[in-house]
Amino acid sequence: MAFPVARAADRGLVRRGAGALLVLLPLVFLAGTFFLPLWGVLSQGLRVEEVWSLARVQALLASPYVHHLLRFTLVQALLSAALSLALGFPLGWLLARYRFPGKELVRAFTLVPFVLPPITVALGFLLFFGHAGYLNRALQALLGLASPPIRVLYSLWGIVLPHAFYNAPVFARFVAAAWEGLDPELEEAARTLGARPWLAFLTVSLPRLLPAVASAFALVFVFCFLSFAIPLSLGGARYATLEVGIYYLARRDLDVPGAAALALVEMGIALGLTYLYLRGGGLFLAPGRRGRPREQLPLFSRPRQLAWLPYLVLLGLIFLGPLAAVVASSFFLPGQGPTLKWYAFLFSAQTAPLIGTSPLGSVLLSLRVGVAATLLSLALGLSISWTLHKLRWVVLETVLMAPLSVSSVVLGLALLIAFRRPPLALLGGGELAIVLAHGLIVYPLVVRMVRPLWQALDPGLVEAARTLGAGRLSAFLTVELPLLARGLAVAASFAFALSLGEMTAVAMIARPGLFTLPLSIYHLISARKFGAASALATCLILVTAGVVWIWELGGRKWLYRNGQA
Amino acid sequence: MRKLWLLALVAGAVPALAGELVVYTYDSFVSWGPAMDIEQAFEAAHPEVDLVWVAPGDSSEMLARLIAERDAGGTPADVFLGVADAELARALEHQVFQPYDPALIPNLAHVPPALMFDSSGHVVPFDHGYVTFVYDSELLPEELVPATLADLTRAELAGKIILEDPRTSSPGLSFLLWTIAHFGEEGWEDFWQRLLPNVLVITKGWSEAYDMFLAGEAPIVLSYSTDTAYSWIEYQSLRYRVITPDGEAFRQIEGMGIVAGSDQVGLAHSFLNLVLEKEIQELLPTSQWMFPVNELAELPPEFARYAVIPERPVWLPPEVIREKLAGWLSRWQELLIGG
Repeated sequence: MAFPVARAADRGLVRRGAGALLVLLPLVFLAGTFFLPLWGVLSQGLRVEEVWSLARVQALLASPYVHHLLRFTLVQALLSAALSLALGFPLGWLLARYRFPGKELVRAFTLVPFVLPPITVALGFLLFFGHAGYLNRALQALLGLASPPIRVLYSLWGIVLPHAFYNAPVFARFVAAAWEGLDPELEEAARTLGARPWLAFLTVSLPRLLPAVASAFALVFVFCFLSFAIPLSLGGARYATLEVGIYYLARRDLDVPGAAALALVEMGIALGLTYLYLRGGGLFLAPGRRGRPREQLPLFSRPRQLAWLPYLVLLGLIFLGPLAAVVASSFFLPGQGPTLKWYAFLFSAQTAPLIGTSPLGSVLLSLRVGVAATLLSLALGLSISWTLHKLRWVVLETVLMAPLSVSSVVLGLALLIAFRRPPLALLGGGELAIVLAHGLIVYPLVVRMVRPLWQALDPGLVEAARTLGAGRLSAFLTVELPLLARGLAVAASFAFALSLGEMTAVAMIARPGLFTLPLSIYHLISARKFGAASALATCLILVTAGVVWIWELGGRKWLYRNGQA
Repeated sequence: MRKLWLLALVAGAVPALAGELVVYTYDSFVSWGPAMDIEQAFEAAHPEVDLVWVAPGDSSEMLARLIAERDAGGTPADVFLGVADAELARALEHQVFQPYDPALIPNLAHVPPALMFDSSGHVVPFDHGYVTFVYDSELLPEELVPATLADLTRAELAGKIILEDPRTSSPGLSFLLWTIAHFGEEGWEDFWQRLLPNVLVITKGWSEAYDMFLAGEAPIVLSYSTDTAYSWIEYQSLRYRVITPDGEAFRQIEGMGIVAGSDQVGLAHSFLNLVLEKEIQELLPTSQWMFPVNELAELPPEFARYAVIPERPVWLPPEVIREKLAGWLSRWQELLIGG
């Protein structure tokens, strides 16, 4: 009898050994590729001639330019969140209260900004809202005006409006979800007691929606605080966020220690904001009692509802205008008519010097990097989510999810510094550095998406498979993996889309010849090759739409079930 | 079959030729300038060599890239083309160039001494021109056309001027230096404070600014004194007209040099010599829209007629720029944010 017991214990040890390895591998990987580079930022920013000192940070904090950056970053984030709220709240209401043809399409569209690369949005705004853009030219022709009537670009609003494009759908989703979760009986009770509809809304429903609104507001504020591609392409010399400031210091002024010090300042503020958000989040997201589903009214069933029309036209202008402008510009030659020239250009080397590679080379690079970064983020995501599922230690979670709290520019800066010296310099940098950056940016989100799956798995199934003689690995492969597959597919498509659209970290580390799709679009915009930029951006929008389609097709039920949507 | 495809792709990605000469320049030299003609001529003379242009940025941006790459351990660049005189100090300070050998660049004999702006022997001039303002005569009423620099600050011009950023673009830097030369160390800040409300946008580079101007985003742009010639030769139109406020414009000489550490020194010299060749120099007026530096090069008659040479060209000595530029730029940055 003693013999089999010992064997079982051995197997237990081996299993624990393998488990420990699964925990250790990602830790070691992160230590080498994330914490070490981050240490590089710290020591560049906090050391003056080999001596630790706060001098650099203090000098920055005293500089009027940094005050300006900080003030602008905060003000634009606040305004962006407010405008997103104003534009998104009614849409959430519309989605929750009414039924109308095309509603599913609108709902699907609110997902698009999650994956649509900011650079395509910046391009769309230039083409659509520019002084000589589609909208102004149409209005001038229509009204016979001599000068463009809409002057929104080249100002603070030129940054705030694209941010609202991005984030109003976030509000719409939060508000719609919260509203659908509200028990309509409360409002009905108020009505029965004689309250007019607007009073019932103000006193009963609105207070109960506020937590969701506040939570979305905080989230959007943080997004906009860390915005990069939009202020970089639309801000001119006057408007720059902290992210853009760090990028300029490192890449334009070649002041890497200064950039590191500014990165530390930004990290301090971002951490503070995240802390406030998480603390507040606990209060905000107290789950309410879910009542019976609310009855949805048909839209435009009463004349009064025609008041929705101007709002819908405005939404259409702001959301569809820029995207349509990108697609249209990719098929037109200014002043001449339809053309496929810009797509043929994808296969030519004509403007190769502007991006250091052919456009096709840039597309292929993005695809290669996308696939590699997706695999990397899935590997990290699976092992880390499993670890966090087994070991619920706050410290471990903080360490394993740390890249989430570091902005993309700072991550790019860290890798830029790290790839200049061993051990990472031995890897050669270049494409590998980009894959690493994208993998690190995306994997925490994969963890978030996969983690509920582990919780949903019935441990009994694995036990049953083991009882029937399957090894641990084969139990994973035959039982758990198929069950995880659908969620993994959604996470993979998400990771792939994010990697394709990422341009912040890559702007810090890429060199000519290694420009990904978004970076090529940015350089083509800078050289004002709008047709070519539009053709590339249209490709990017199509891939993004494909990802959203995959979600809507296979993932939405899963997303809803797991409370991510 | 698929493998063959992949092989073809991989083969395309790796240079198959024995020699390669990598030239860093700024974007508009490729999208406007004679880069492709130079490439053809060079590859005809050196069939075994592939000339590769790399130009993802404006002149200052590209120079910054070159410096950063060298600091990080190495750059693929053999030649850098597009150092304006205002940026020469920065380039020399970071020692990005190795000295050239005049004996290997026979065409230098045709470059007038007045244009040899680098006395240290690292950078050879290849073109020159004048940075000034251009207006769109269809969008700007005649009475608002500025005759002096001070006129640019008139309230009627609010939001009507496009400038380039002196931190990233050479015409942008030229204009900053011009205002310092014109108003003096005491007066330039005051001028900028009054000018900024009239500025619609400050772009990172010239191509961005000029394209916005052509698209009609604003009627006045900081550009070059050859733009009327451009408008006439390309479109038989005098719509875009050059002004020389106070009779002035800022002189800009652009140069090129061999990157320190390049192992293609021989080819690099023959590249510099080719760019100074009379035939290539004669392409500059109507592609780069700058004046050639080779005295033998003839100007196209229409170019000679419409390209403006200011009464009083303005410039600042390189030593002064080297000493004071950093301070001026940081002061400008403060003015920009309303300090």
